[in-house]
Amino acid sequence: MSPTKQHNDLDLDNQLAEFTDQVMEGKMNQTASPQDGELSGLEETILRLNRSFPPAALDDASSKQMLVRLKARMRREEQVVKPSFWRRLFDIQANPQIGMMIAVVAVLVLAVVAAPMFTSTGGTSVSGTASSSASLPIAAGLVVILLMVLLWFGRKK
Amino acid sequence: MTTNYMQTTSSPPTQDASDELLIQQFKDGRKEAFDLLYHRHLQKVFNRVRYVVPENDVEDVTQEIFIAALKSLPSFRGDSQFGTWLRTLTNHKVAEFYRRRTRKQEPQIAPLSDAMAQLTGGSSQSLEERIYIQRALQSLPENYREVILLRFAEDLQFNEIAELTNQNLEATKSLFRRAIAALRTHLE
Repeated sequence: MSPTKQHNDLDLDNQLAEFTDQVMEGKMNQTASPQDGELSGLEETILRLNRSFPPAALDDASSKQMLVRLKARMRREEQVVKPSFWRRLFDIQANPQIGMMIAVVAVLVLAVVAAPMFTSTGGTSVSGTASSSASLPIAAGLVVILLMVLLWFGRKK
Repeated sequence: MTTNYMQTTSSPPTQDASDELLIQQFKDGRKEAFDLLYHRHLQKVFNRVRYVVPENDVEDVTQEIFIAALKSLPSFRGDSQFGTWLRTLTNHKVAEFYRRRTRKQEPQIAPLSDAMAQLTGGSSQSLEERIYIQRALQSLPENYREVILLRFAEDLQFNEIAELTNQNLEATKSLFRRAIAALRTHLE
């Protein structure tokens, strides 16, 4: 950019800024530059903006009314979105720790129930073997039910 | 905004308390501190929204901004000034408003007939002009729109805008002129 052009741009920047200040202060309501100049079009845009959005000061009463409506809306929204205790407890999206905790408990239960099967030496205790064999499907069923309950409460609306 | 060092977070919130003190009081459970913050910043938020959102949605969007502020205030760390934080939140909420409208496949700006139905006291011609300008403002690059809103909607002086945007005064005035030139092009 040539020094002359740079200087001209700087002049235009300052003139437009000064014109804007005057318009905003209510001291100017028409373009100040020659009609055919570059600045004239920009000044016209400033005037259009200012005319289309005249200052709209909210008085004290309006502000207070808006605050009352805001609080009423917040109360309404709280009532609408307040989830039940159980939904909040099992909301995995909001509390991933809960989901993790239940999964850990399920694995522990499964491990405790299934442990005798793997530790039995085979045939020495008939009654114990029968008990372990019988409890395994029950435990597996419980885990499946637990997982289903978890998924049910954790599902998205 | 001056800080009143005589007050502490345990004192009741008062008009002359700084934003920082009111926020701290709010965090300490004095919910009425939010009311003071609301009254202090409402006009600026309202003005900014008024420039970019259709007339009949201005209060609704303004409310959404303050609800979001209220919800986020407990996690406000004070890295920036509250006013700056609120300005950013306002821009996000305005953008969200337009995203929602786009999802609903509604026109970005309310049709003229909607605006005409509003009893705002303006003539139909001025309402049409306002909608036209809002549309043009929305289609500007963010830095252009921001400098125009800071000067017109928030009535900040150029030196204040320069300070706020970490630019020198010349760069700010230059940005402003380019922004107005771009707006003019959109309005033609």
